[in-house]
Amino acid sequence: MNFLQQLILRRKLDRDVDDEISEHIAEKAAELEARGMPPAAALLAARREFGNPALTAEQSREVWHYAPVEELLADLRYALRQLRRAPAFAAAAIVTLALGIGANTAVFSVVNAVVLRPLPFPDSHRLVSVLVRSTQGGTPHPEELSYPQFFEFRKHTAAIEHLVSYHDTSMALSGAGDAVNVPSEIVSWDLFDALRVQPLAGRAFQPDDEAAAAHTVILGYQLWRAKFNADPSIVGRTVSLNREPYTVIGVAPRDFVFPLGNRDVQLWTTLAVDARSNTKEPMTEQAGARFLQAIARLRPGISIPRATAELDSVEAALGRQDPDNYLQVPSTWITPAVDSLVGDSRRPILILLGAVGLVLLVACANVANLLLARTAEREREFAVRASIGAGRGRIVRQLLTESFTLALAGSAAGILLAIAGVKAVARLAAGSIPRIEEASIDGRVLAFSIALAFVTTVLFSLAPAVRLARMELISPLKEAARGNAAGGGKFRSALVVFQIALGLVLVSGAGLLASSFGQLMRRDVGFRPDGLLTFSIGLPRSLANVPAHLAFESRVIDRLRALPGVTDAALAVPLPLAGDELSISFNIEERPSAPSKHPVSDIAFVTPDYFRTVGIPLQEGRGFTENDNASSEPVLIVNRAFADKFFPGENAIGKRIEPGATTDDARNGMRQIVGIVANASQDALSSAPTPIYYYAAKQLPWCCADYVVRTTGSVAALASSLHSVVASIDPSAPVYGVHPIKETLSKAFTAPRFQLLLLGAFAAIALLLSAVGLYGVLAYAVLSRTREIGIRVALGANRAIVLRMVLRQAALLVAGGVAIGALGAIAGNRLINTIIYAPPMPQSILLTAAALILVITAAVAAIVPARRAAAVDPIQALRTE
Amino acid sequence: MMVLRTLQRTPLHGYALAQQIKRSSKDLLQIEEGSLYPALQRMLKDGWLKAHWDVSPTGRRIRVYQITAAGAKHLEHEVSSFERMLEGIRFVLDPEQA
Repeated sequence: MNFLQQLILRRKLDRDVDDEISEHIAEKAAELEARGMPPAAALLAARREFGNPALTAEQSREVWHYAPVEELLADLRYALRQLRRAPAFAAAAIVTLALGIGANTAVFSVVNAVVLRPLPFPDSHRLVSVLVRSTQGGTPHPEELSYPQFFEFRKHTAAIEHLVSYHDTSMALSGAGDAVNVPSEIVSWDLFDALRVQPLAGRAFQPDDEAAAAHTVILGYQLWRAKFNADPSIVGRTVSLNREPYTVIGVAPRDFVFPLGNRDVQLWTTLAVDARSNTKEPMTEQAGARFLQAIARLRPGISIPRATAELDSVEAALGRQDPDNYLQVPSTWITPAVDSLVGDSRRPILILLGAVGLVLLVACANVANLLLARTAEREREFAVRASIGAGRGRIVRQLLTESFTLALAGSAAGILLAIAGVKAVARLAAGSIPRIEEASIDGRVLAFSIALAFVTTVLFSLAPAVRLARMELISPLKEAARGNAAGGGKFRSALVVFQIALGLVLVSGAGLLASSFGQLMRRDVGFRPDGLLTFSIGLPRSLANVPAHLAFESRVIDRLRALPGVTDAALAVPLPLAGDELSISFNIEERPSAPSKHPVSDIAFVTPDYFRTVGIPLQEGRGFTENDNASSEPVLIVNRAFADKFFPGENAIGKRIEPGATTDDARNGMRQIVGIVANASQDALSSAPTPIYYYAAKQLPWCCADYVVRTTGSVAALASSLHSVVASIDPSAPVYGVHPIKETLSKAFTAPRFQLLLLGAFAAIALLLSAVGLYGVLAYAVLSRTREIGIRVALGANRAIVLRMVLRQAALLVAGGVAIGALGAIAGNRLINTIIYAPPMPQSILLTAAALILVITAAVAAIVPARRAAAVDPIQALRTE
Repeated sequence: MMVLRTLQRTPLHGYALAQQIKRSSKDLLQIEEGSLYPALQRMLKDGWLKAHWDVSPTGRRIRVYQITAAGAKHLEHEVSSFERMLEGIRFVLDPEQA
């Protein structure tokens, strides 16, 4: 019988023994009676013969007891009774722990989902991201691949099982309800093979799906549900994408997400799209067009360095063949795919985890403080227990059980808090941290919080336990009720100093983020975002129908301008704040260089009204006009950063450069810079203005320009009227990506805002807990010194002196905490400085402000006990003893 | 050992067992009858005995103890080590006889 069964069968066993004993005595008595003894005497004799039935029963039962568990249960019962008897103490401790453990659990569940969880594919440790290392423009950074390069890599690799290229696109799906624009991915054929994913229905791509003539597509589960009613017979049918017929060959599984972390992509098609692109030569043959990312599955047992070495030699060979397009240095950039997904998010999350760990320490210090106070109050109880035979170890264990009970209750409450908190946290960070929407309380997170409960128990009961173990257990019995109540005072003060120090670290960290965030918000984006709305129209475009497209676009612009409130409308790609989507190298006429050494800059294509619409001021020269068209002299406008970087100390107007971007041979050649505009932000989070040069849209029509409209009226009203405007021109053209620029801007700040809010919340909790800790120590000191204070007052000390006495104690604690905390804060801020986007205020100001916040909080916490001390009535105080 | 030996002969309930042991030791062992029960429980727990409720010929509810195979084996082991011990004692008390 194992002990669990025994526990369950306990009641029956107990009953058996009791029954048996009473039967025994009855039988004996009956026998004695039969021999002629009177019944009462017989029963008495039977009992005498038997011995002590209660003790026998007890001893019989004990045989079955599993001592450690029994004692634990007894301790637990006792602990619960103790906690019920001190509800204020229990509530304070549990709330404190719930805050600490809850915050930690919530942050850990984010760390778990974002950083720790492997990719949801078989043997995902063998999946790597393949890019090349570029040193162009200073610091080495990963750069995308071109198709020819990708094909070479794919051909010559023994280390890699599958190498898959991918890049984003969007496709207009028509013929199934309203035309919609679907975020899509153009991949090489073996994506599903590389990830080891079986389509839910149909088949995966095959090599011949890459042929330029192939039109095959795999649908995402959500799209399949939304647009095709989850109809399995869709496989083999034809759908219209970008007004071309595509055969649906499969449906992806429900939880399939590719590219990693991008749930929006709902269509996958092959690089056949790029093989038939309407560019001068197909995209698949342009060695200069680097826009591919790649994911690879390494063969079993192959390390990343080995794969890197192999691809490096392929890269070097390419460099020898084609020095114009390839660097002649081995420079492959291979990283675990999960790392490339998590990327820059890892560091801020881990810093937040560290910060929340500090919050837990503050919480533990608080509970330790509470426990110490309580242990002091209970010294008599422990002494009584010791005097009736409880071992010291037994008493310490009892104390630990109580602590553990608190920690468990705290964790349970904390986990409930975390369940609510995780959702809020995920919402706060939505879109800025990959996979954060997957954060949840799973087994690992639960294990984490239970481990936390154990660790916290040790942390906060260490001090009281050590004190108890050292304590002279008998002496309190001899003393008056409130014996050496000041005991543990030093240690408790040390805990408060520690709390204040941690509080300062967190408050100054939050201050740093706040100051940086404020700077970010105040930063001039270089244009006027109010009243701006951007959107896109999903129309396929090819060189063959450029004139029709330009006509369509100008009709849309004209209609938009006619809307009430609309002052301007223009076309651009990329839009402001859309990131550095396009960058192209160029040759400067005055300083020609070899193709591989060409400088690189961002580019954009804009219509003449763009600068006025968006609100970018022209600084020198002229803007574009309607006359800057295909037949006029090719011109460019650059921004201030471009002029300063590439023509320092010169006037950039009139200079000529030869950009690499062309759509036909005739337009190749030098272009003259005719204007300089102010710097406008392409990336809301980047601090330095990015050089950019603008093409006149008519001189180099580019695919998929986006619309930007300025209104003096309501942006929301304008947004809702867009669909009807576009539908009145072409009902099959889907409108998508409708965003007020203010919203885009606000979204861009999600990550820093998330970090600030979280760290701010942690700092607030730490501040609150430190204040409670300080209050507790002072209040307790005042209480235990009531008699002393009473005597002082009786002897003539005035209230001001008493008040000062308490405040001096508080001041000493705070000063100590601030001094130690300042050192921690400097170290902590150095770490936080690595994740901020805008320079904060100087450290000295931040630290002073943080210290001031702590001092004010501490003053508030100290004033109550201080006034209570000052109000002590000497008569009352002396009578309390 | 006595309990096991007695039960090996025939299954008995607590009271009968106590009487039997008393008789077989010719009332030499004056033990409290109650002290039998913790011992029985220990042996139950160790699996040397098993017990079931029954009704005696006199109509009394009794809990009958029975020796198990493990109990018998243990008894054998105990007896032999007890005999070895006796042997040892005899040797110490009267070395010549040994």
